Amino acid sequence: MSFFERIFGKKQSSAGIAKDRLTIMLAHERVDCKLPYLDDLRNDLIAVIKKYTSVDDVKITSHSNKSIDMLEVEIVLGKQ
Amino acid sequence: MGTIITVTSGKGGVGKSTTTANLAVGLANLGQKVVAIDFDIGLRNLDMILGLENRIVYDVVDVMEGRCNLSQALINDKKAKNLYFLPASQTKDKDILQRDKVKELLTALKESFDIVLIDSPAGIESGFEHSIFLADRALIVSTPDVSSVRDADRVIGIIDAKSEKAKNGEEVEKHIIINRIKPEMVEAGNMLSIDDVLNILALPLIGVVPDDEHIITATNTGVPVIYKENVQAAESYRRIARRILGEEIEFVNIKAKKGLFGALKGIFR
Repeated sequence: MSFFERIFGKKQSSAGIAKDRLTIMLAHERVDCKLPYLDDLRNDLIAVIKKYTSVDDVKITSHSNKSIDMLEVEIVLGKQ
Repeated sequence: MGTIITVTSGKGGVGKSTTTANLAVGLANLGQKVVAIDFDIGLRNLDMILGLENRIVYDVVDVMEGRCNLSQALINDKKAKNLYFLPASQTKDKDILQRDKVKELLTALKESFDIVLIDSPAGIESGFEHSIFLADRALIVSTPDVSSVRDADRVIGIIDAKSEKAKNGEEVEKHIIINRIKPEMVEAGNMLSIDDVLNILALPLIGVVPDDEHIITATNTGVPVIYKENVQAAESYRRIARRILGEEIEFVNIKAKKGLFGALKGIFR
């Protein structure tokens, strides 16, 4: 990126965009690879939750850092 | 006992066969007894890159199905006397290879060659699985673009899952070859740099090959580019061959100094 582009906040280089897109995409794909049971788990959870509430979807997000891998399950009940 | 090295990529058209041909010649010229096998059943190509297409009588499927013996099917290279070549079959059925037959063949080749270099087909189907399952090492070829890097990442993720070595608690040794890099584009910020690719794939680098028109003319004539003097791509391949044998050598300076310096640090780490 040239000096002027930097000053005027011109668009990011295409290589930079490629890198960002790849990093995000692969973060997702690697999780899918590592947790092949994710879809089954989600379906089982929904089945259980449906027994007690009218909710028919759960949101599962995975986080990981150096020391731990974590799954976060979010159930939105809404307002009665 | 020889080493099985599989050249793979996931995505097609990134230069697997060209890489295989040049490294096969390079390793043979370093005194290794090498056999190059084309596992791309139905889409044979390594024969033309090596310039051996007119000498084919039998192919890899003929050997596996017992229509000929191994020595009948092996073609000795014209120039590199240490190099032998086993062509892919042009049958339409790309799923014809059988795991136990593949194992039998590769085990036999390992007995009499120092290096068994396998040109894997693109994709992650059975052909790929057959070419990786007995591999001791894998060379993952990627060009610096999003589709190629993404597919390379996917392949890296499944190599160990498909490998017999990994089943026995060992790991397939994996290295990245970055192919067709254009230093001017990297410098202008319009192409992923060597560092970018390595950061994403998180594996050590074993070689960088510049985008070079000589590779096209070499393929036209059937004489691999590695034979040429004063050609950057040829020098890159010669150095990769030596690195495969464990030598530590500098990376060819492809102008993009910063990227290469980082890459250099990566391999000596």
